[in-house]
Amino acid sequence: MTAAATTVDRRDVTRLPGPVASIFEFLRTMSRKPVGLIGLIGVVFFLFLAYVAPFLVPLQDQVDVTSIYAKPSFLHPLGTDFQGRDVVNQIVYGGGDIITTAILAALFSTLIAITFGSIAATLGGRIDALILAITDVALTIPQLILLIVIAAIFRPTSFFALAVILALLQWPALLRQIRAQVLSLKERDFVEAARSLDLGLMHIIFREMLPNMRSYIVIHFIIAMTLAIYAQAAIMFLGLVPLSGRNWAIMLYFAYNQGALFFKDSFFYLMGPIMAIALFQLSLVWLASGLEDVFNPRLRS
Amino acid sequence: MATITPAQGELQVRTFQRSPLSRIRGHLGGLWGRPITQAILKAVLTVYVTSTITFGLIRLMPGSPVEIKIDELMQQSQMSYADAAASASGLFDINLNAPIHEQYFEYLGNLVHGNLGNSFLSKGTSVMSIILSVLPWTLFAVGTGLLLSFVVGIGLGLIAAYRRNSLLDHAVSTGGSIISSVPGYLIALLIVLIFGIQLRWIPITQMRGAFTSGITPGFTPEFMGDILFHASLPITVFFLTHIGLWILSMRSATLAALEEDHVTVARARGLTDGRITTAYVGRNAVLPLVSQFAIAAGAVVGGAVIIEQIFVYQGVGLRLVASVNQRDYPLMQGIILMTTVCVIVANLIADLLYSRLDPRIGRAGGATGK
Amino acid sequence: MPVLSVRDLSIDYRTRRGPVHAVRDVTFDLEQGETLAVIGESGSGKTTLAVGLIRLSPRSARVTKGEIRYDDGKRAFDVLSLDTERLRRFRWADCAMVFQAALSAFNPVITIWEQFLDTGRAHGMGDKHKVHDRTRELLDLVHLDPNRVLRAYPHELSGGMRQRVLIAMALLLDPRIIILDEPTTALDILTQRAIIDLLRELRGKLGFATIFISHDLSIAAELADRMLTMYAGRIVERATVEDLFYRPRHPYSVGLMRAVPRVSGALGSVASIPGSPPDLIRLPRGCSYYPRCPFHVDECLQQDPPLLRVDTPDHEAACIRWETVAAALGSDAEAPVAEKLA
Repeated sequence: MTAAATTVDRRDVTRLPGPVASIFEFLRTMSRKPVGLIGLIGVVFFLFLAYVAPFLVPLQDQVDVTSIYAKPSFLHPLGTDFQGRDVVNQIVYGGGDIITTAILAALFSTLIAITFGSIAATLGGRIDALILAITDVALTIPQLILLIVIAAIFRPTSFFALAVILALLQWPALLRQIRAQVLSLKERDFVEAARSLDLGLMHIIFREMLPNMRSYIVIHFIIAMTLAIYAQAAIMFLGLVPLSGRNWAIMLYFAYNQGALFFKDSFFYLMGPIMAIALFQLSLVWLASGLEDVFNPRLRS
Repeated sequence: MATITPAQGELQVRTFQRSPLSRIRGHLGGLWGRPITQAILKAVLTVYVTSTITFGLIRLMPGSPVEIKIDELMQQSQMSYADAAASASGLFDINLNAPIHEQYFEYLGNLVHGNLGNSFLSKGTSVMSIILSVLPWTLFAVGTGLLLSFVVGIGLGLIAAYRRNSLLDHAVSTGGSIISSVPGYLIALLIVLIFGIQLRWIPITQMRGAFTSGITPGFTPEFMGDILFHASLPITVFFLTHIGLWILSMRSATLAALEEDHVTVARARGLTDGRITTAYVGRNAVLPLVSQFAIAAGAVVGGAVIIEQIFVYQGVGLRLVASVNQRDYPLMQGIILMTTVCVIVANLIADLLYSRLDPRIGRAGGATGK
Repeated sequence: MPVLSVRDLSIDYRTRRGPVHAVRDVTFDLEQGETLAVIGESGSGKTTLAVGLIRLSPRSARVTKGEIRYDDGKRAFDVLSLDTERLRRFRWADCAMVFQAALSAFNPVITIWEQFLDTGRAHGMGDKHKVHDRTRELLDLVHLDPNRVLRAYPHELSGGMRQRVLIAMALLLDPRIIILDEPTTALDILTQRAIIDLLRELRGKLGFATIFISHDLSIAAELADRMLTMYAGRIVERATVEDLFYRPRHPYSVGLMRAVPRVSGALGSVASIPGSPPDLIRLPRGCSYYPRCPFHVDECLQQDPPLLRVDTPDHEAACIRWETVAAALGSDAEAPVAEKLA
């Protein structure tokens, strides 16, 4: 945010209170490259849809066999599903689980990656070699396949458990990149200073280096969310996870297996969740891309 | 998945120049004989770790499949525990009475002989033979799709870099970014939904399966054509899923290559633009991407699972889902192992290619690790 | 007949803050076979000028005016008016450029031999054997072993060797002009000496004209016949080597001479020039050296001084107070400036 402050600006932004001013600056930098801004809007929209909308829209859960796969109408803007329930309603209620799990999974994997990546880079030597070796082995195993098998064996029944499993599969890629970042920061002066003052390892990692990697971590968190959603949707679509409830991926599962493919009118029952997932992924990726521009001014051509 | 932002593309190019396998090789450092023996050693290590993991999953976890099987047998067939255990032991091909570590070594011993056990469902059919009958189809579809996406993606990325900030560049980069962000199976669903069902442009019911049953296999044009027909949708999806990655990576690699001093000198030498583009910019830019390609080839085997499900394409992914639904544990185990082996082989090829193509990487015992 | 005549050449860079006037109204002649040194500090525009002569400036640069006339007796044209194809053929065949040793001047994935072949082929030398023979001849000329060098990849050669190879490659098409941009920077002292001797030897044998860009005065003194001093994009003094070293007339040239430490001198006889070069986007009115000049007067601010003839017809300086400068040097209590370079 400070990078943008060097440009001379007529508008007197300094009159606004601190946090508001920096949000303003942030938005302005983002809007230079529309991609980031669109991503931000998209993400905010979906978060709203997933977490706030359910409080505004009552859940329509009754099975109504008389209107299976009804055409889109005013009452049901996207038609109904195989049990006569409104599609739009399901989409509104369908985001929460998926997004929460994704956030949790991203959180866990980012934590693991940061912790072990920093340790590996800071301590170096044997520990570094060991951690790297484990990471590389873990990277070699095809993740989706392992995920499928693990999900099949453990049959996680809570979203929390699912998040843990997902996190366990994602940390290798992040760890390498965190480690690379820490390695490059390690040689910097302020780390030297901290070391000579004999501050503990944890202190060095969390108080000195991490603040410098803040932007990096945020972007990786977002990417980790996309990976988590990808994986979640995959195994739910395959029907491998005995999770109940309604979410976009389970909608897909039902839609696909209840033959929604073959009816003209149930088009939106399939398209709905597909678009929801796809657009959310897209928003996340674009947001990450926009943030990259904000945090790395030199990327702006 | 190939989620990619421009900076990620750049990062990919820089950090993933060498496969995880070669980095494992580097870890042990020093002179461990010829690089090839090193690489194989590391491959073995990975297989070992993977097989141990699957062993653990199957045997050691509470509520492990073995226990479940025993319970099942006891309930369904009213067997006593001992009988059920014996039966399960036969099915899983392990001696339940022996201590764990013995079972482990027996398991490893079998592996070394290429014995992955027998399938639950069709006793007598070895897991290995089942896998070998479906794996080639997956490799064919994945390989073709990936190769096409590589070639086209490289070309588009190069052009985009040369015409930086033009309309074409923006279109190609944004398009690539969008396509690579959407999960492959969603693209597959969309294809089926829109082109297959709604618009009826593609005869998807006819395209199910890997080949039409009436035709005799062989290297005849008829059969080849048929295979391609059936594989065309999966190939298209693999193509679309990955092209974004190549476009953005190549674009960023080309932009970097164009900044290099030797390109300026080449122009001062009066070389033609064509020669500069191919031998000076192109070759240097493509270098890291080649090994990235091999790595992607290995990794995409996993993503193929759902796509095969959607197109009902009888590859290893479809078989995996079936085996999961049927609780065919030896088969599941086997598939994990074999797909990991695929990834390892792909990584080995990546390293080989890279060291061949880049003269700066030590030939014969001079691995300049990162 | 000068082989190169540059008139009023001006080159700008486009930047966000505005155009950077990197080269302004540069005018000079280069005679056949002579060596012209262009001296100046970083940012003086000398490298921009050098790459500008073969139109190799980056995309953000534009030639705003001027002409670069090339005439080797057989053909004559303005380099700035050449189309892409003719420009391509002009480069290296008529005018070659040897870049700094520090640059990775060679394609890392191709052997040295292939790069020679590329160069030859690009200029119509279709016969591989001819190229090969000529290459061997040239490598011998720069005292390198062709057998060893041709098969090697660039990273397998040392910096000094690569510089020699680049020089050999520059001679491949027997150009009339060779531009050398800081050819000895980033080389160790011994290698520097070797390269300089080599250049002198080659020049004697082959008779090409040289434009030599450097910030190192002593090397310029050894190789050059005439010298140009550049400051803030303009030529501020033009003289023979002797005239410039023994009788500098522009305060900047004087400052440069004084800044070279004497090997045998007492400490304190070195003086750097205080201040820094002007902002090339918003150039001040009048002489751009004014803020750092010990001889300045108010009149200097009125306009950018043109090159005025001083002493002899071949000696020009862009300073309206050159006579004062000359007088000041004459009565300098210290030994003549040139002694600095003893």
